[in-house]
Amino acid sequence: MGIGIVTSIGIPRARDTDRLFLILCLVVPLSALILFFVYPLATVVVHSVTEPDGRIGFGNYATVISQPNFWRATANSMVMSLATTAVSLILGLIIAFATQRCRIAGRSLVLAAVALPLLAPSLVQGLGLIFLLGRNGLVTKALGVEFNIYGFWGLLIANSLYALPQAVLIIAAALRSADARVYEAAEVLGTSKLRQFFDITLPNIKFGLLSAGFIIFTVTITDFGNAATIGGDYAILATEIYGQVVGQMNFNLGAVVGIMLLLPTMLAFYLERVATQRQFGSGSDSAVPLVPGWSPARDIPMTVVAWIIALLPLITIGIVVYASFVWLWPYRFDLTVRHYAVKIAGGYEPLWTTVQISLLAAFAGAVMLFALGFALQRLPRSLVKPVYFLSLLPAAVPGLVLGLAYILTFNAASGPWQLLYGTAALLAICNMMHYWTQGFLTTMTGLRQVPAALEETAACLGAGLPRVMREVTGPLMAQTLISVFFFLFMRSMVTLSAVIFLVTASVSVASVSIMRLDEAGFTAQAAAFATCTMAVVIVAAGVMQLSLYLLGRRRR
Amino acid sequence: MQLEISNLRKAYGATVALDGVSFTATAPQFVCMLGPSGCGKTTLLRMIAGLVAPDSGRLLLNSEDLTRVPARRRGFGIVFQSYSLFPNMTVAENIGYGLRIRGDEAQRVRIRVLELLDVIRLSELADRYPWQLSGGQQQRVALARAIAAEPRLLLLDEPLSALDAKVRTDLRTEIRNLQQQLGLLTIMVTHDQEEALTLADRVVCMRQGSIAQAGSPEDLYRRPANRFVADFMGLSNMIPLETVQKFAAQLLEGHVPSDGATACVRPEDIVLVSGGAGATVKSVQFLGNISRVQVAWPGGELVAEQPGMAALAAGANVGLAFKPGGCAWVSAS
Repeated sequence: MGIGIVTSIGIPRARDTDRLFLILCLVVPLSALILFFVYPLATVVVHSVTEPDGRIGFGNYATVISQPNFWRATANSMVMSLATTAVSLILGLIIAFATQRCRIAGRSLVLAAVALPLLAPSLVQGLGLIFLLGRNGLVTKALGVEFNIYGFWGLLIANSLYALPQAVLIIAAALRSADARVYEAAEVLGTSKLRQFFDITLPNIKFGLLSAGFIIFTVTITDFGNAATIGGDYAILATEIYGQVVGQMNFNLGAVVGIMLLLPTMLAFYLERVATQRQFGSGSDSAVPLVPGWSPARDIPMTVVAWIIALLPLITIGIVVYASFVWLWPYRFDLTVRHYAVKIAGGYEPLWTTVQISLLAAFAGAVMLFALGFALQRLPRSLVKPVYFLSLLPAAVPGLVLGLAYILTFNAASGPWQLLYGTAALLAICNMMHYWTQGFLTTMTGLRQVPAALEETAACLGAGLPRVMREVTGPLMAQTLISVFFFLFMRSMVTLSAVIFLVTASVSVASVSIMRLDEAGFTAQAAAFATCTMAVVIVAAGVMQLSLYLLGRRRR
Repeated sequence: MQLEISNLRKAYGATVALDGVSFTATAPQFVCMLGPSGCGKTTLLRMIAGLVAPDSGRLLLNSEDLTRVPARRRGFGIVFQSYSLFPNMTVAENIGYGLRIRGDEAQRVRIRVLELLDVIRLSELADRYPWQLSGGQQQRVALARAIAAEPRLLLLDEPLSALDAKVRTDLRTEIRNLQQQLGLLTIMVTHDQEEALTLADRVVCMRQGSIAQAGSPEDLYRRPANRFVADFMGLSNMIPLETVQKFAAQLLEGHVPSDGATACVRPEDIVLVSGGAGATVKSVQFLGNISRVQVAWPGGELVAEQPGMAALAAGANVGLAFKPGGCAWVSAS
């Protein structure tokens, strides 16, 4: 038979490379987090308490607080965010319910339409609304009435559309986790459908709704793109920071406003984490999935309503694409590509720069997050907890505050950091940090699904940690890492708020070009530029789906 | 090959998982660690594997101190309950993985893999992926993978628990045969006492982080060291000393048990005499190969087992007899 046992004697006790590898996996991402997140943020705090004469004090705070503008912007931000939260939550619940609990026609098209804003820079909603409802908008012209779309209402619509995809994602996930047996029991007890909705469905997704609400609130209060295009005179905190810094070159006051903006987002983010834990923390795998049956009385009206909602983002974004091909909006609707000859400094250069920045952010982010997660799974709890906490923080920091932190830190007159200022690398790092938390949470979820026994088996077979990571954990994490990579890539492609402060004449990004074109009155060219940007993102989304599909097929 | 474990301790916070465990095992023994969940048997196995570090104590293999040697340098084979085949590798790649890590040349790995595929009778499935195999097949591949690199010690963590009853008994025999052929010191964790009794040369029965008793399967079944072992290893009637003295003095057989001792009588050692007197049948359960009879007698209730279908009905009066030598005395705790 030939299977004899060869006694292996004297196994070499080489130095423990595993330890070294683990330290490397932890230290590299952690240093990035400290150097490019904690340190810049601390710099903002220092600047906010540095008075004009260079002393430390709360003078800047006193100045800001005494300005009526600040209070107006704060009140506007709160009102706008709460209103958007209400609108998006209701629309999100309808879409989620229609797609998860009803049998509506064109279910996946509705979901795709609602997800569109994720693929576009946030300015695009604003642009679209201007093409529809602005002074020269299609609807305005058709009806012959003059709306003032710039201001509260325009911003509310734009923000609501922008936040809707995230609301739908969370609420749909909460609805999916329901157990069909509960509803069967209610059915047997003779409970009406309406009572089932209020007595079972709503209480079950309570925390999902809360979590979605806090996410919408955070996304809205920190957004800059929509406010910049369609906000008009409706000043909010984000535009206030931008005004202080870019308009008045008053960095320290900008820092104060930034910290003020940090307070509600931190709170909202904390509450969101708590709510998420309550909703998704104790998911039982044994639930019988609920498959809705066909019920005309419910499904026909829901189809109509869902499609009306889905048409809003579809039309708003579609009109931007359409407008980019129109000869002279709204007078001559011949189709042309003349707006694609972009007349702004650099032309399409910023788009290619954005692609490079996004690739770099996505690659560095995915690698670092994987390394960090891998290390965290093997380190003592006392070490894991603070690192975990630190990794959650970036989500609570508005992009504008992060961007401000970066100029204050990396544009300082002296120091080695200045070398980074104005480079594409710094923009990539900034984007990676901006979206670090979401990538981190996805990576950790993926890692938790890798059975520990596999890694242990490999260890017993003699595999060191680098090999375990490469040959066991890596292949199993491929799908998660691809998702993280493309998430970071797509977000980096369209983000505006964090990078707006960091672009220079030579290194700029697509969303800034769109904003500049719009500000300069070249609206059609802004639309053309936005269309090109969306095309890149849609191609990326396609590549992601394809690679996930291919991987999934190879696996099973 | 001799494994020597001395005084291993492990605590997680206030919970003591292992409380000073010591034992020795020598090739080609098959050792089963048995106990209820949470007794520390899995922690002990993982500690032997090097996946968990002890707080204190030592672990020696042929007097080489392995206590602080990481798992990957121990050269042990391990099989988990969850199969744990690498999903991205074929059957052949899984089996050859340890050899490739060791740096064997491709040709040698290939030959060895073919050899092992032959042993587990899955040669025709060499290029399949794990998800294309049944549970039993997956576990055979896992076994082949564990022994491919000629381990010094084979560790099995409830390898049969996830399998169907029929597959489980087949694989049980297969594991035992393979282990005997290889003369391989094997340590298996199980909570199934039948599995432990059929497979093991030595059983280590654990309770709350300590060894309750270690010995041959027969030792543990026939001569349990304490009430816990008697209770855990199959069904038994526990009769307090006073009751024995009063109603079943024949069980003493000239013994003078200490105060507070309990007699442990296996159900198969109680003979029911139909038509006799002294006990009443309460219920009869037919289990196929045996019948289990619940009887009431002045000392309380007893369970007796008879081969085949019992010709007794509830309410019948029966006589009670104890097979000689069938009683073990255990201390109270």
